[in-house]
Amino acid sequence: MFAARCRSSIRLLSPALFLACLLAVPAAWGGGVRSADMLAHTCAGCHGTGGASAGAAMPTIGGMEKIYLVNVLMDYKKGLRSSTIMGRIMRGYSEQEIAAIASWLADRPWVSTDRPVDGSLAHRGELIHQEFCETCHGDGGRGQDSKSPRLAGQWAPYIRYTLESCRAKGLSCKTRQGAERVLDLDDADIDALAHYYESQK
Amino acid sequence: MTSRTIATKTAAIPAIAQPPIERSEGSEPSGSISRRRLLTASGALLTAATLGIGGGLITPSRVRAQSSGAGPKARVVVVGGGYGGAIAAKYLKLAEPDIRVTLIERNPRYVSCPLSNEVLSGERDLDSLTFDYRGLSRRGVAIMGDEIVAIDPDAHQIRGAGGARYNYDKLILSPGVSLDFAAIEGMSAELADTQIPHAWKAGPQTALLRKQMQAMPDGGVVAIVAPPNPFRCPPGPYERAAQMAMYFKHHKPKSKILILDAKDAFSKQGLFQAGWREHYGDMIEWVSAAGGGAIEAIDAKSRTLSGAVEDFEADVINLIPHQRAAQLAVDAGLTDDSGWCPVNQQTFESLLAADIHIIGDAAIAGAMPKSGYAANSQGKVCAAAVAAAINGEAPPATSYVNTCYSILAHNHGISVAGVYELKDGNIVSVPGAGGLSPADADARTRAMEAEYAIGWFRNITSDMFT
Ligand SMILES: Cc1cc2nc3c(=O)[nH]c(=O)nc-3n(C[C@H](O)[C@H](O)[C@H](O)COP(=O)(O)OP(=O)(O)OC[C@H]3O[C@@H](n4cnc5c(N)ncnc54)[C@H](O)[C@@H]3O)c2cc1C
Ligand code: HEC
Repeated sequence: MFAARCRSSIRLLSPALFLACLLAVPAAWGGGVRSADMLAHTCAGCHGTGGASAGAAMPTIGGMEKIYLVNVLMDYKKGLRSSTIMGRIMRGYSEQEIAAIASWLADRPWVSTDRPVDGSLAHRGELIHQEFCETCHGDGGRGQDSKSPRLAGQWAPYIRYTLESCRAKGLSCKTRQGAERVLDLDDADIDALAHYYESQK
Repeated sequence: MTSRTIATKTAAIPAIAQPPIERSEGSEPSGSISRRRLLTASGALLTAATLGIGGGLITPSRVRAQSSGAGPKARVVVVGGGYGGAIAAKYLKLAEPDIRVTLIERNPRYVSCPLSNEVLSGERDLDSLTFDYRGLSRRGVAIMGDEIVAIDPDAHQIRGAGGARYNYDKLILSPGVSLDFAAIEGMSAELADTQIPHAWKAGPQTALLRKQMQAMPDGGVVAIVAPPNPFRCPPGPYERAAQMAMYFKHHKPKSKILILDAKDAFSKQGLFQAGWREHYGDMIEWVSAAGGGAIEAIDAKSRTLSGAVEDFEADVINLIPHQRAAQLAVDAGLTDDSGWCPVNQQTFESLLAADIHIIGDAAIAGAMPKSGYAANSQGKVCAAAVAAAINGEAPPATSYVNTCYSILAHNHGISVAGVYELKDGNIVSVPGAGGLSPADADARTRAMEAEYAIGWFRNITSDMFT
């Protein structure tokens, strides 16, 4: 089928696409480049349409920073980041496909959670945030870059699990910048922080 | 091929109820050759030619719509608003707002099978598994309450139980499974509704089974009769045993759960057996087919199940029947000897009828199991293929995922995942990807997987219904 499209396109299209067609044709029937839509839609069963999670433990991923996503997804694929299931999933995608998925997700709007958060818990979290986390997770966790994910408006249970996992791994949780600081947090700190971030939209 | 079609091809065809059309002709994005081409009156012919079915596509109402210039780009009818159909309808609308999408579902509300085993433990009620179609309606999908009883592939028309007719350019079926009661002597649909619930379609039978467990004396026996492959939700019967045990452990700890299996192995077997032992000791006993577990007959009155070797008596019987594609697909001649629907695994178009696509449990989908996640993934692939066909494009290269979580105890979840691709026309697992939760996972991981199972449910149902 792909071959048929290539054949009819050859007269019209650029040399690069022509080459892509030549390379793709010998691939098995149904092969060819899989679109970002096609690839990224497979994630929505767990992460929600467009990566906007309906909760509560599954993280929202739509609207995250592209390079951060590439790094995290590649780390899952290579087994460098611990996970319950993402490692098993990401081994099914090539590096180029991961880049396509990351771009697609980065282009979605970030959708914050839509539930009320306990105010005094969030306040306690804010104090911890300002002391330990604000330098990297600026603007109350709204800031993001290739090393720091957006935290504001993320589901609290997910933030809690991730921080607990990092702490449980101890010093081996090193691929992440904030690891040492996380080691000093107790359960109540983590819970408060998670609620603070969820409260920031 | 078609054992029950309607013979009214020449009758005037009323247009189906039409959802509001959200676009005006002038708002077409520019630069899309295929779209512009389709806005001309000859667009329909071009599409039809691409699909290889000639002028038969041009029904009277279609020609009318095209010549008035106000018609939709094409009409797609989806039958079945479950894990596959709701997704196909939504993602088609997302991809191509100009396609008129109608979803036909017999029930006003959908009750999810996933997590329905938690109704048996008492963890949740059926309300928490019940969804309506308002969200899809808001997205511009026309929702019709009807039961489809016949398909006429030549006329591109289907018929509802009350006689309503619906024309389509492309038909997507996600009707699920039907239960083959005759495979076990003495079993019937009527018994399932009243005494021997299968609870394999969540709803009243799930509630009945729960009631029977509650009425059972401590020290009683529940028999789960597990079906042969292939069937809906391969880990389902074994998760069910754990959820039943969760209830008995606290309320009737001397009770037993006997799984009488038509198979010699089952999904996530090692993880299930270890989890059962860890939480429920020897409350759950599994009898393989080779060990005499394959059941051939039932006597409902004495609650006795007969295997090849011995008989089993139980206080409560949950007989999960052998399965095949939903009755609609069988009646329309869309199944093969296996009882399931052969399809092109790239587009999900039937190998037996043009312009009819079949997804979800009813379809033969290579290495993918019959699960809600698989139906979701297939719904998206199928929507993309249908949109491409309507636009006169080649079907897109495909990607598929499946995951099945099972909850064995509050703090104990396990999963199996698969990532799939198309090879030589067949859906196969991507080598090295997917697989089971580790056998030696620590308690934290198991507890997190139980939470993620609930999160999965929230997200997959929001993907379907919002
Ligand atoms: C106990 C249990 C637990 C499960 N747990 C999981 C799980 O954890 N994860 C998972 O991924 N899967 C799970 N499954 C499997 C999952 O439920 C199915 O695989 C999934 O529902 C298949 O989707 P479908 O669209 O093919 O069919 P369905 O979801 O059954 O949808 C079919 C729809 O079509 C309608 N319909 C049928 N015929 C007609 C007609 N003629 N006219 C009009 N409407 C019609 C039906 O009313 C129904 O709404 C479980 C199943 C069971 C039984
Ligand atoms: C079966 C459910 C499931 C599927 C399918 C799935 N995910 Fe995940 N995802 C998870 C879970 C659970 C986590 C938390 C890490 C873990 O334990 O695996 C997660 C974490 C993530 C994170 C980390 C967010 C952060 O900043 O910490 C990203 C990014 C992500 N997933 C992207 C994806 C993409 C992209 C896909 C599709 C290619 C995908 N996921 C498919 C369940 C899933």
